[in-house]
Amino acid sequence: MKEFAVFWGCTIQTRFPFIEKSTRTVLDAFKLPYRDIDGFTCCPEKSLVNNVDRGAFVVTAARNVSLVDELGYDLVSPCTGCVSNLATVRSELNANPGEKAHVNSFLKEIGREFTGEAGLRHLVPFFHDAVGISRIKQKIKKDFSGMRVAIHYGCHMIRPSHALKNDDPLNPKKFDNLIRALGAESLEFNTKLMCCGQGLDRIDRHENALHFARIKLKELKSMGADALILCCPSCFLQFDNNQFLMEKEGEKFGVPVIYFTELLGLALGYSPEELGMTSHRVDCGPFVKKWEAVTTALSRGVDMEEGLRAPVVIG
Amino acid sequence: MLEATLNFKLLEMCSKCGACFDICPSCMHIPGYDPREVIKDILNGRHERWLDSGHIWECLECHQCLEMCYQHYGFENAMTSMRMLASKKGIYPAQVKRGWEMFVKTSRLGEPALPARKKLGLPEPKASGVDEFRKLYELLKQSREGGGSPTEAD
Ligand code: SF4
Ligand code: SF4
Repeated sequence: MKEFAVFWGCTIQTRFPFIEKSTRTVLDAFKLPYRDIDGFTCCPEKSLVNNVDRGAFVVTAARNVSLVDELGYDLVSPCTGCVSNLATVRSELNANPGEKAHVNSFLKEIGREFTGEAGLRHLVPFFHDAVGISRIKQKIKKDFSGMRVAIHYGCHMIRPSHALKNDDPLNPKKFDNLIRALGAESLEFNTKLMCCGQGLDRIDRHENALHFARIKLKELKSMGADALILCCPSCFLQFDNNQFLMEKEGEKFGVPVIYFTELLGLALGYSPEELGMTSHRVDCGPFVKKWEAVTTALSRGVDMEEGLRAPVVIG
Repeated sequence: MLEATLNFKLLEMCSKCGACFDICPSCMHIPGYDPREVIKDILNGRHERWLDSGHIWECLECHQCLEMCYQHYGFENAMTSMRMLASKKGIYPAQVKRGWEMFVKTSRLGEPALPARKKLGLPEPKASGVDEFRKLYELLKQSREGGGSPTEAD
């Protein structure tokens, strides 16, 4: 496998270092050739920087990509926004030689060059495509059979598809495949692909942001989903933090929000503490407890089946 | 180059279509959010009236409209252009202003949480590219003032 730099992004390192912890834990567990490199800046966040200064958006993203281009690495990120923003600029520059040359005329002044060759991947499609389902399955110590979870892809894991090219943008499959490989049931539900709405919190529209979170959480609660599984720090902020805020005001959902790397880590045998899951605002305890109970019940079920096959029963 | 432009031909088609109103999450869940109205006004030369409307910031850039659009165009292009124009006039939500200022100053939207990293046993964070970023941003600004190299490629 080609070496890759991990692009952690601002949100994970500023607000959710425990996501970095679980990500490193699973990358180490699979002995993947990941590197930490100097020099990254904010990707930059499109809905902020692009709105104010499009040129700054393009040259900043191009500079970040040029760092991995020069090293001959690929780039992988546990943040959907980072990958989507970097890939958006890369695809635009690769499709427009004039603009690429123009951007490179700036980068040259700081000793950089954007070639646009490095692969840019989000962690979920990366695990699906580069690590592979079979290798993951081999490493599972305890799967999630009997658990019913809801996946939230996060818009920018799959869109814009012309830049990311990693899954069907309107009917994605890879995250589901991974979760099913871990033994859990991936629920189908109406709001599955609905945007989390966290962007509304970034434009001083807190009530609207809560409303967006509420719509999905309500559906999940009514379905009795054991957890919401996602892999984006903004979506995490929306469903963990904002759910917590609503619960403080008396609106109870009780839907644990679990990062993909945490779920994978649990399956590999790490404890919730080792994975930093105790730092969530919404308690993951009910999920873990149910998982333990279901696993115990299922192993009893196996005994029963053996009992059925025993000579006394058949003969 | 490096500036926003709108394709009025596509926008004209869009104003006759309106299909993605039904799949846009903000259209569904935010009263008063309707890019069709904005697009109509852009085509009629009356876009100014939207510049200080909060609605133009409520597009989530979820790209649903872009992916569904038969022109691969999407409502979002019109909404993004409006936000860019508003920003140029200094009209933006307070948080956007704060975020932008922090980005330009530090090249990031926040600094790594060091005590929490230590507790989790995470390695020292790598150095950011803030110095290079500042130089790059200066070059960009100079080129716009027409004063400096590098020059426009086309
Ligand atoms: S990108 Fe904006 S306009 Fe398009 S569907 Fe999403 S919220 Fe609606
Ligand atoms: S963005 Fe595309 S699909 Fe949506 S209304 Fe306009 S033309 Fe129709």
